Parts: sequence; C-alpha cells; structure tokens
Amino acid sequence: MKSGRAYILTKSDAVMFFASLASTMRIIAPRKLVGGDVMFGAVSSPQEICWDYGHDIYPPKRFIFPHFEEMFSYTGDGNIEIRDSGEAPQQAIVGIRSCDVRAVRFQERFFLSQIEDPYFKARLDNTVLFSLVCNKPPRKECFCICCDAGPYLDSGFDVQLTDLGDRFLYEIGSDKGEKVTTQEAYMLKEAGPDDIAKRRKIELEADSLFETTAYIAKAINYISSDEVPPEVWEDLGSTCFRCGACTNLCPVCTCFTVDDLQRLDGSFIRCRSWDSCQYAGFTREASGHNPRPTFGSRVQRRFYHKASYQYIERDGTHGCVGCGRCVTTCLTHLGLPDVVKRIRRAMHNYLEPQQKVSEV
Amino acid sequence: MELTAAKPRKMWGVNVLPTGNLYIPMIAIIDEIVDETPDTKTFRLRLENEEYQESFSWEPGQFVELTVFGAGEAPIGFASSPLERAWFELTVVARGKVTQAMHSLRKGDKVGIRGPFGNCWPLETTKGMDILIVSGGCGSAPLRPAIFYILANRKDYGEFWLLYGARTPQDCVFKCDLTEWSGRPDVKVLQTVDVGDTSWHHRVGVVTTLLNDVQIDPSRTVAMVCGPPIMIKFTILDLIRRGLSEDRIVTSLERYMKCGVGKCGHCCINHVYLCTEGPVFTYQQIKTLPELEF
Repeated sequence: MKSGRAYILTKSDAVMFFASLASTMRIIAPRKLVGGDVMFGAVSSPQEICWDYGHDIYPPKRFIFPHFEEMFSYTGDGNIEIRDSGEAPQQAIVGIRSCDVRAVRFQERFFLSQIEDPYFKARLDNTVLFSLVCNKPPRKECFCICCDAGPYLDSGFDVQLTDLGDRFLYEIGSDKGEKVTTQEAYMLKEAGPDDIAKRRKIELEADSLFETTAYIAKAINYISSDEVPPEVWEDLGSTCFRCGACTNLCPVCTCFTVDDLQRLDGSFIRCRSWDSCQYAGFTREASGHNPRPTFGSRVQRRFYHKASYQYIERDGTHGCVGCGRCVTTCLTHLGLPDVVKRIRRAMHNYLEPQQKVSEV
Repeated sequence: MELTAAKPRKMWGVNVLPTGNLYIPMIAIIDEIVDETPDTKTFRLRLENEEYQESFSWEPGQFVELTVFGAGEAPIGFASSPLERAWFELTVVARGKVTQAMHSLRKGDKVGIRGPFGNCWPLETTKGMDILIVSGGCGSAPLRPAIFYILANRKDYGEFWLLYGARTPQDCVFKCDLTEWSGRPDVKVLQTVDVGDTSWHHRVGVVTTLLNDVQIDPSRTVAMVCGPPIMIKFTILDLIRRGLSEDRIVTSLERYMKCGVGKCGHCCINHVYLCTEGPVFTYQQIKTLPELEF
C-alpha cells in the first residue's frame, strides 16, 4: 500500500475495515441524530456512519481544536499545584469533507509554525483524516471550487474516499494514511482503469454544479491596499447582530480566549474556548478603551484576515475554504461571497466620481 | 541609519518554557510590594525554582503573562533592571479582574509567570547616540528597564534626556528613582504634571511642553516614547516637527494579549501580531496601521 496510489474498498468491506480500525482508535464520523440531522460524533459501530450526508454545519475542526478545551488545572489555596490536562485520543475522522480537510491544514500551518501550540500538535498527531469527496456540492451555498478546497483534493488528506456506487475509491495521501491502512491492507485491491474513469466523470460533473461563486481576487486587491472606504465597512457592519456565528462556524478561524474557571471542588481550570473578532469585547481593554469600537471596524477585521495579500503572504493561502457556512448562517448576508460582491459593487460606485474629477 | 526594534535573545528555545508547555506558568513568589500611587503597585517577584530564576534573562521592553491564581492571566511589562538576576519587578495598575486580584495579594503569595515574550527596546543598535525618553503616567514602567540599562552603560551613549509627565503629583510612579536620577550629572531629568499642587516644585503642563527645553540633534537622536495613546500621538507629532525621522521614534503598543505567543489572535492589528512582532515598534513601522490613535 503506497502513498499516492489509488485502491478499491467495497462498501461491504468498508464496514469491516472501520470496525477493525475502531479497535485501535475512536472513530469520529457523520451520524444521524434522533431528529434526522447529521452531525459528526464518535460512532460505536461503523453501521452508524452516514455516508450520504451533505456537510456538518458545526465544523469537525472541533475534534482537533475543541470549542472548549481544558489546558491545565490548579488548586486555589496557598500551595499551588499545576496539572497539565491536555488529552489527545487516537482518532480517525471519517467522512470529513474536502473543505474541512483544507481548513485543518490551514490551522496546522498556523498553530505549528513559528511557535508550536502543544495542545493542537498533540491532537493533530493522533488524528487520521479519511476525507470523502463531494460527488455533487452538498449545499447551494458551497463555493469551495473558488477557493481551491474541493470538491475533491489532490493533497492534504491522509486517505481520500470517493463513492463509486457499490465501492469506494481509496486514495492514500500521506505516511499516516499508509500506516493506518497496513493492518487491513488485504481488503484493498488496486483500482482499475474503469474506476479511475468513473472518478474523473464524477469530478467533471461536480465541478459544473456549483451555484454560488465568490469572485474574491478583486476584493483581495481592494482590501489589501486599504482602498475600501470606512463608510462601506460601516454600511456592511450596520446589519451585523454580533452573534458571532460566522466565525464560530468557520472551519478556518483560530482565535481563542482564555479563562480561569472554578470547579465545584474548589480547584480551578484554565481553559481556552473559541472567540470571535465580531464581538465588541474581543479587543476591549480593562480601562474600557476599545481600539475596534464599531461594527464596521470589526467586519473589516474579519475580512482583512480572510482576504488580504498580507495574510496570504503569512499563511500561504487566503483564509477561506468556501464551505459556505457563513453564507448559510448569517441572517444579514455577511457571508464571504456576499461581502465580496458588495465591496466590488460599492467600489465601482466610489470609483466613478473620482474618475470624473480626474477627467476635469 | 536604519533602525528597527531589536529582536530579543531567545532563552529556553522558542517552543517551551521550563515547565515543558508554553501555556503552563512557572510559580513565582512575591518578595516585596511597593505602593506607587493609590491604584498602582510594584511587585518584586522571584521564581520559586532557583534554576529557573538563574536562567531567567530578559530584555527591556519584553513582557510576561502574569497569572493571578483564581482570577486569570494578563500581560504585564517588566519594570526592573535587566541586570538584576535574583528578582524582577512588575508594575501593576488595578483596572480589571486580574490586576485588581493582584493588588489584593500580599508578601509571600504565589503567582504564575509565563515568558519573557515579545521584542525589546533598541538598546544595542543605538549605542553612541543621544537618547530621549518620553514617558507618561504608568507608561514609564516598560521604559524603566531601558533607563536602568542605559545608566549602567552610560559611557556607551551620548546625551541622555529623561522626560516624565503624570496627571497629578499623586499619580507619579517611581518617585524614588526620579529623585535619584535627577541627582546624577549625566542625566537630564525633566518632570511635569497636568495639574499641580503646593507640594509640586517641577513643571506644570503636558509632557510635550518639556520638549522645548531639549536640544535635539536629529542626526544622532533616538526617542523612546511610552504612555497613554493621546500622549504618544502628540509627542510623535512634536518630535517629527523637530526633525526627528520616523525610524528614530520608537514606541511600545498595547493590547490585551491572551496567549503571548501569536496564537489567540487578540493582539492583531491588520496582519501584525503585537505579541511576537512587537510590542516595540518604530513609528515608521506602525504609521499605516489602523486602530491606533496616532
């Protein structure tokens, strides 16, 4: 079993494959909840895995960078004793979509470059990603094709599965993927030319089915060069409810806040939890001074981080994978494609009078 | 001359503190507490583990994340001499949850320390030049280590001006130091308050008025400025008017940094992470950044 090669895993074998995998690590996969919603969670048997789901609105990054994470605990009395609470279970995230895999890789670059984040590293080291190709865009809000993050990947995954009807195309993309395959390698066989051709057909079809587009390049220009007038940002920010859903559902967002909380037994934990640059309290200081006081300045902050050359240079790519969660969730059209569109439209209005001035 | 804020020497490697995890603080003991003003105290601290304290070296301008157990963590700049190896001092104004809890602590109590983080005042690259330090209120705390360093290596520098302003005589911090420094023939100390009283026998007026008494030679002067944003703004404007170039004006920026290591995202201004790339910047580096009051 070699990295970079494609194999075939029949769907009946897949149950056995993941059952065998479950003996060495926990399996995180999409599973149907009582009400019919599909969300990621630990599955007790592979039959629970829901293979034909759309995507999980609550990004699976939470199994590597948890929404709420205990960092360490300490006793509160005079004699301070600190205990590291970092835990990193062996896990396989099965059925994660391409955009979310790209987002995990974005976070990997961010958290492990320059100064390594120990908690993130421990969790990621123990995680294997089995991504699942989108045969068609799961939602009409999806625009991963504009962000080089799907609907299928050529790198970034440990194993990539493509649903070919009665079988999965099983591509190995990393050493970790190779290692996790070794034990159950007897279930796999080499993919034939027909399988590859079928996969190519799926790729072409999926590419043609996207309804949402984000023409982000020009917006990146405007944002990077700080050409967007403050009035445009304030106009965009004027409808923001400050709910923070856009950043809390974003699979790329990395910001966190740190708090000390008291347990019932009197000891304390220090924990970190996701934070949002859209909250007024994000930058507020103890003196009451807030360097980012307006809705507009906070919306500007969000898009500067998502779409500016300065951050592309820093992170290697712009901070959006096109999963469409901010589009789905925002009540007031502050998802990335809408904002890009509104900036482009506003800039044309702003540019026109200037051109007239220069003509005179 | 190209002048950029200096990078600190790295101790203990980039990734770990001696605790083995960069988020887990080292325990420090409060040895002494000095009341500076009604809401400001200076704490003399020593790391409980002697080995840690011996290898704990830092540069003027750097900061630590101070944990008050039971309350939380806040970034605080060093305020003592970097040459003192047995202890270090932090000057804390009681403002928020953590700093108020810090003020309730007593001698012998334990706190947590992570650091040192950030870069430092350019003290190596400015040797041979005139130094002008302008500080306002408790903004003199991050500059205090730099002053100690310059005084200890006084012959390496040219003229040394020290300008200090506060709101009222009661708000003046480091009173003993200022008295001592005023007595030295090789430092020119000027002090002012916005509102004076009968006990005050220095100047009255904002700190920028003191600049009229300083003979600045723009070709060989570096200004280090720290204080409230409004004071920094007018000081920088004044210095530029007096011919100082933008890369010779150095200041220290402030945000509520939650992690200190460039991960939590709270201290970003545009793409600049103050905790790892700052907090010390030349005016040239920051003049185009938004969200600053200057």
